Formats: sequence, C-alpha cells, structure tokens
Amino acid sequence: MKLLLRNISLRLADFVLKVNVELASQVTAIVGPSGAGKTSLLDLIAGLRLPQSALIQLEERVLTDTARGLFLPPRLREIGYVPQDLALFPHLPVRKNLLYGCKTAPPCGSLFSYEHVAAVLEIEPLAGRSVTRISGGEKQRVALARALLTSPRLLLLDEPLAGLDAALKARIIPYLARVRDEFQVPMLFVSHDRQEVQALCDEVVELERGQIRSEANQKA
Amino acid sequence: MRISAVLKFLLCLLLFAGAQAGIAASVTVFAAASLTDSLAKIAAQYEREIHDKIVFNFAGSSLLARQIEEGAPADIFFSADEAQMDRLQNKRLIRAETRQSRLSNLLVIIVAADSSLAIATPRDLTKASVVRIALADPQAVPAGVYAREFLTKENLWNVIEPKVVPTANVRGALAAVESGDVEAAIVYKTDAAISKKVKIAFEVPRADGPKISYPMAVLKDAPEPAAAKRFLQYLNAPAAGKIFAEFGFIVRDAGL
Amino acid sequence: MSQEWQIVWFTVWVSALSTVLILPGGLAAAWLLARHEWPGKSLVETLVTLPLVMPPVATGLILLKVLGRRGVLGGFFHDTFHLDIAFTWRAVLAAQAVMSFPLLVRSARTAFAEVNPRFEQIARTLGAGEWRVFFSITVPLAWRGIIAGMILAFARALGEFGATIMVAGNIPGKTATLSLSIYESVQLGHDAAAFRLLGISVALAFAAVWSGEWLMSRRRGLHETAS
Repeated sequence: MKLLLRNISLRLADFVLKVNVELASQVTAIVGPSGAGKTSLLDLIAGLRLPQSALIQLEERVLTDTARGLFLPPRLREIGYVPQDLALFPHLPVRKNLLYGCKTAPPCGSLFSYEHVAAVLEIEPLAGRSVTRISGGEKQRVALARALLTSPRLLLLDEPLAGLDAALKARIIPYLARVRDEFQVPMLFVSHDRQEVQALCDEVVELERGQIRSEANQKA
Repeated sequence: MRISAVLKFLLCLLLFAGAQAGIAASVTVFAAASLTDSLAKIAAQYEREIHDKIVFNFAGSSLLARQIEEGAPADIFFSADEAQMDRLQNKRLIRAETRQSRLSNLLVIIVAADSSLAIATPRDLTKASVVRIALADPQAVPAGVYAREFLTKENLWNVIEPKVVPTANVRGALAAVESGDVEAAIVYKTDAAISKKVKIAFEVPRADGPKISYPMAVLKDAPEPAAAKRFLQYLNAPAAGKIFAEFGFIVRDAGL
Repeated sequence: MSQEWQIVWFTVWVSALSTVLILPGGLAAAWLLARHEWPGKSLVETLVTLPLVMPPVATGLILLKVLGRRGVLGGFFHDTFHLDIAFTWRAVLAAQAVMSFPLLVRSARTAFAEVNPRFEQIARTLGAGEWRVFFSITVPLAWRGIIAGMILAFARALGEFGATIMVAGNIPGKTATLSLSIYESVQLGHDAAAFRLLGISVALAFAAVWSGEWLMSRRRGLHETAS
C-alpha cells in the first residue's frame, strides 16, 4: 500500500496539524496522546474535511490536491472508515447497516462477499437485531464488517480498542488480525496506546500536537 | 415630602380630567360603509362648530348591529337598511323615539373604467363573459341584500348567484372591481361616484329598485346620550342634508 | 347540516393538500438553513419567518396583489391558462401554504440540526451520494421533528383566517373554510351554527395534535445514541 500525505496543513483549535510523510506498510498505526490531531488526520484522508493545504494520494489515485484544486468526494475514495463512536445507523437493523455500502445487488461481492465477511467476524447471528441491542464488542465487529463490505482500498480505524476492557480487547484483536490476513486490506489504525497495536502493525507513526515525532518500521 | 407632592399632582390631574369631561364629549357613531365620505365631511364641519368629538366605526351594517348586540360602546347607529335597525329595536337596544330616516340611494351596476364588456342591462350580467360579480354579502349586508332583492325581482338571481363573490361591505365590492378581480359589481350610486377607476354600466331606476332607506337612532346604552342627540339633530338639519346631496344621496327633508 | 360537513371536508382536504405541497420546499429550506453557511442566509431566514410574525391580513394583502388578476402571478395564469387564483380554492391553498410554511421549516430545521453529522459523513464514506444520504440517513433520523412540523403546519392551515379572507374571500361552497364560516355565522347572529362549527374546530385541532403526540411516543427511545 502506498499512501502519500504531503504538505498537509490543517488548522485545529490549539495548533496546526502539519504532516509530511509517505506510508508504505500494509498495516500502520498512528499513536499519540489524545488531542494530537489523529482523528483529524483520518478525516482528511477519508475526505470528510478540507485542509488549508495538502496532497493526499493513495496508490495512483489523487484524493486531495489543494495546489491543483482537486478534491475527490468521500463516496468515490473507496476508503472504509470505522470511527471511534462507530456511528452505526440506529434506525436500521444490523443487516441493513452492513449492506448500506454494497454496490451490487446480491449482497456485495466485488472483493468480499457478505457470507465471507460475516463468517470471519462472526456476526451472522446478529443480522436481524437492532443495533441498540447488541453488545459493545458486537458493535465493533459490525462497524468493521460494514466498512469491509464496500471492498475498500484502505481501512481507517479510529481507536478500535478504546473503551473496551482487557478481556474484550483480547477478543477483538484476533478479529483485526483476521481482517489483515484474510482480506489483505491495508489498514491505518489510530490509537493512544502503543502497546495494544504493536502486534498488529508493520509501522508505527507518532503524532504529537499535530507534528510527527517519529516513524518506526517494525518489520524492516 | 416627595409623596405628598405626587399626590397633589395626581389630584390636579383628576380634577382637570373631570372638568374636561364637562366641556367636550366624544360621540361614537357606528355607520354603514357607504356613508364613509359624506359623514366624515359632515363631522368635520360639526366639530368646528360644536367642539364635540365624533368618532366613527364604518363597516357593513350587519356586522355593526352584531357588535352593538355584543355590547360595543356606541352612541349612534346609522344603518343602510331598516332590517338591521329593526334587529336592534326588537332587542330593545335603541331609543325608539330618536329613530328617523331621511336618506335613500340608488343601486348601480359598475364595471372597471377600462372595461370593454358590453353591459347595458341587468340581464347582461348573465352573459358568460361576466365570470364573477362582487356584492356586499347578500345574506346580511344591506347593499348585498338590496341587490339580491332586485335581481330576484328581475328573475335573474338563480343564474347570477353562482357568480357572486361576497365581500364584507359595499366598499369591498367596489375595490374588487377596481382591482380587476371581478368583472362587475352592484353598489350604491354614491359609491361609484367616489371612484375614478370604475364606471356605471347601468343605473337601477328608483321605481324599479328596492326601497333603500338609511335609518339612524341613538342607542339605549349610549355613553353620551345628550351629545348624541345633538349630533343626530345636526344630521337631520339642512346643512348636513346639503352635504349628503353633494355626495349623491337622495335626501328626503321634512321641511324642504 | 350537510352544508356544515361540506365546509369541514373542504377545510380538511385543502389543509392536508397545503401541508403536502409545502413539504419538499420546507424540507429543502430547513436542511439548507440547518447545515450550511452561505451568503444571503440571514435574508432567507428572515423571509421564511416573516409570515409568522406579520399580521395575517397584511400577508393576505400581499398575496392578493400577487395572485389577483392584475398581479404578477395571477395575471400570468389568467391570461395564459384562463385560470383564476384569487377568490378561488387555489387562493385558500396559497394562503394556508404561506402561513404554515414557517412552522414546518422551524421544526424540521431543529430536527436536522440535531442529527449527528457523523452519521452523514460515514454514510458518504460508504459510497452514498448526497440525495441518498438525505433520504436514507438524515430524514429518518429527523422524522420526529419533521412530523411535528407537519402537524403544526396542518393545524395552522386548518385555522387560517386573516390571509384567507383577504385573498380568497368567503364564498359559500367555493372558499368557505371553517374559520371563515364561524366568523360569518357570528355576524349573521346564527349562534347555534357558530358554536357547532367552533366545536368541530376544537375537535379537529385536538385530534391533529393528539395523533402527533401518539405517533411520536410510539417510537420513543429507538433513536437515542449510536453506540
């Protein structure tokens, strides 16, 4: 996976997010204290925010280029996003949430079929339930599956393990590993805890107050 | 110290107000809409001579009668037909001995001043080119009631009724023709006279038309009965009669 | 008595039609006002609120000037289609629509503003275009406020008087609404009829508001938080 984040400048409340980096690993983690600008960075990559300046490019596709006035809307970026609050649509049952992004009529199927994803993440039994009636861990998996079913070229995950107790974390991490191994979709994690994402990632980028402090390639 | 000064001031104000009440009275007249311009002129003259203040409420006579029934504080009722006055007399709301009528009027069919419709007789109102005809509400307002009576007598009412746009009072019917929203209206000759935007297409001869009469009376619960009677007398005097005639009313004078 | 039911039926169906007709424009205006900042926004906001605060007869007078035979719109329809607007049921519809529009917009706008934008954003990342986001995410999540707005608008239309009497008049069988008829009955001294119509008005308004409350309480608690 090749993700270019060149000359990014985004004005935030207390500081300016300035990032200039090229990420080439399959699974990358962005770690840093809360308020460092991690979520804002994900928003920029997904196309949910417009920066003062940036060149964001995924593989050959230019997503944002302020210099040339180019901006690809989020729906065309093919980037899956699992936000911190999951944002599962409360008015739709689990199945409809999962199928929301599917482009082809028989449930999905350009890269990952519904059956495959549901099996890997073990969410088939939840299909008919209301999203308010499933557990925290189940919600995580549903949100993850929903993003996966759009056959994304990149998966963004904002604090996928935040707010989960140790036992639940231990249960979710294998699923994330499965997504990495089974579906081979490049992933970009955001976490405030370096330890917990260590095992999953190839590369770790430290972000503090909008600036990159270090880049460490673990599998080098 | 301050308080007693304020009290003295208020006392003076009270005495002053009391004194004023004896000097100039305010007479409230509920009058038919068709009398608007003539009465305004008469009152202006009266106020110069007698120093009482005349306050008017112009509307359809039926609405005025209803307001009086509900206790509106009026001194004089000047109606455009006997029926509304009878309505109040039957409820003992007027001083019957002051009831009199000296004015009459004529009905006319009017069209817009720039209208090209050929309307020369009442029967022409039944033509297809006349889509809408404005009348003061024919169920209650005198001008509309008179018009309905006349058209019924001419055996035209059934055909014309579906075309009728009822307005709150006769001036509303006039306005509807002026704005072009209706092709024709039936109003009083005195109303047609005050507007330059309409022209008379047909005048109902006095002999053929309904008996139009404008009774006036002092109300039983009038706040200012003495002043009201004074003004009523003035309304029946020659000076007022001249002004009414100026505006086109038919004036029946006892003495003239 | 059957004439009274004709008046009730007429009032109800024109009010319902008016409420349906203002829905697309009302939701569009509400969404634009809730979500975006744009030049001229305050002006539009003010214009939308005007019928709410202006004297209804004043609004009615403006409508009469516009929809009358010599008016901008009325003249066009009269000359081109031989269609009259003022003093017909269409004027009743127009008066009701104009007077109840602000109520719908205000309710819907608040409802849209309360929808967490995160849901709309995620929907976009899942590939939804703006229209799909609006109809599949925004509107369903705001439906309570939208329904409340529609009920308010309907009730307002039912009771419309000042603007209606100006631009439509009170023509028996053609533009006589419930409120106009109450006024007329009082004028004529037909008190019994006036009170019957009054009772029906109260019953209608009560039914409208009651069913709205019921509708919304049935689905309470379903749309609280995302996680």
